[in-house]
Amino acid sequence: MEPQRKRWKGSECGSDSWTVYPVLSDEQSKDLELVEAFAAPVLNKKETSRLLRELSSLYPMSGLQHIKRVRAVKGSPHPLEVLLCLVRDAPHMEVLSIDSLLPSGVKHDALGEPFRVKIPARPPLTRPQFEQAGKHWPTSFHEDKQVTVALRGELFTASQKASMHTHMMSALTAAKAGSELGMDAVGAVVVGSSTEKVIAVGHDCRGDHPLHHAVMVCIDLVARSQAGGSYYFDQYPACTFTPPASDTFQSIPSSLPYICTGYDLYVTREPCIMCAMALVHSRIGRVFYGTASADGALGSKYKIHTQKDLNHHFEVYRGVLGEQCEDLTSKEEVYRKVDY
Amino acid sequence: MGTEESFCPSEEEIEKWMSSAFDMARQALQNGEVPVGCLLVYNHEVVGKGRNEVNETKNATRHAEMVALDQLQDWCRHSNLDVRCVCERTALYVTVEPCIMCAAALRLFKLPVVVFGCRNDRFGGCGSVLDVASADLPLTGNTFKCVSGHRAEEAVEMLKTFYRQENPNAPKPKTRKE
Ligand SMILES: [Zn+2]
Ligand SMILES: [Zn+2]
Repeated sequence: MEPQRKRWKGSECGSDSWTVYPVLSDEQSKDLELVEAFAAPVLNKKETSRLLRELSSLYPMSGLQHIKRVRAVKGSPHPLEVLLCLVRDAPHMEVLSIDSLLPSGVKHDALGEPFRVKIPARPPLTRPQFEQAGKHWPTSFHEDKQVTVALRGELFTASQKASMHTHMMSALTAAKAGSELGMDAVGAVVVGSSTEKVIAVGHDCRGDHPLHHAVMVCIDLVARSQAGGSYYFDQYPACTFTPPASDTFQSIPSSLPYICTGYDLYVTREPCIMCAMALVHSRIGRVFYGTASADGALGSKYKIHTQKDLNHHFEVYRGVLGEQCEDLTSKEEVYRKVDY
Repeated sequence: MGTEESFCPSEEEIEKWMSSAFDMARQALQNGEVPVGCLLVYNHEVVGKGRNEVNETKNATRHAEMVALDQLQDWCRHSNLDVRCVCERTALYVTVEPCIMCAAALRLFKLPVVVFGCRNDRFGGCGSVLDVASADLPLTGNTFKCVSGHRAEEAVEMLKTFYRQENPNAPKPKTRKE
């Protein structure tokens, strides 16, 4: 089958042709988990607050503070329903009945026939999770507004997107330069997140060294820019770094090894586990990548940037010039198939 | 995979090379450096020997293992040997479990076996934080075998001593409140 050639849109294609999405932690992005509970309609509304008091001391439902104990039901003869307890906390019963659920001490003639419901097991962390949860049982929600906006792909302003576009275009150009030299078609750019100044541009150089992935090349170029570094990439014209202006250089403590603090990385393809961990060690500020990779460690196989035990976490966004970045990778796969 | 599966250092080899790795770590500690000793051994010969070079290179990825892997490549070049063939029969001896990054690097070099002393609870890539050594990552080289726990307490002691000396460049260890 002839692969459909997408037109290379290049720089004339505007920054409104792509959408950038956050790569959230598993907790934030996973589907709703439910747990079974018993509920019952409230027959006498006036008894509600007493019932609530007695029920919550009898069955505190610990760990489920996000669950509202009472819900309103539209179009029912009994407009309120109350959660009695979790099924796993309930006493063993032959037949489901209010008598066996509540001990004799609790006056329960204000409650109707109990029934089973599924309720959200965890507090919702994102608006999609909150909306999904609400279809089962109402919960409270402490909304992170930035996450909500980010999930709609609307976190960045048009001018921010325009500069992201420019930086990813540089990464794409570097990737192509590398690929013409027989390297994997991956490019990366390091930018000061507040200054917008480009610190380093690099591409994959693994033809020379199996670890010289574009990200590793960039990390070393950043070190070079500050009079450090372990390698020379001078034979590659597309691998460059900009030394800081002499006045700002003074302000960088010479002993500081975490040189990517406050920097953003743009990379055409999702970094592998080695590169992702190298970014943790380098204390990168944020990472933007174009397209996912099967072994990727910032969303696909791992989410190193949200890994609990690690001492540095950072924001990750995908989809910047996604189509063009994807094109690079798929073109490469075609080459590879020809090679072998 | 046949030859790789069967390649594993003997008890005596482990004893001998780990003892060299511990000597290196102790030397590093005496010089106020991260006390990690790390050797790559091929055919009874040390072909790579690394110490942490993060501070002088301002590159936070210059862990001892990464430095040793570079030396292995240089050694192969000088000896006119194919890196891949050498790596197939090379073992890494290191006093502390390699971090996630280094474990991935070892996979990319297709090293078959890593012998290490103590666990690395903060960054370990051979089971402590993640198990990169045996994870299913088809695009990231080969899995490798780990032989762990050799003189572990001694390795931990050296790390503790180092962090107590308060290297201003080193990240503080997680101090567990006791
Ligand atoms: Zn990589
Ligand atoms: Zn490491």
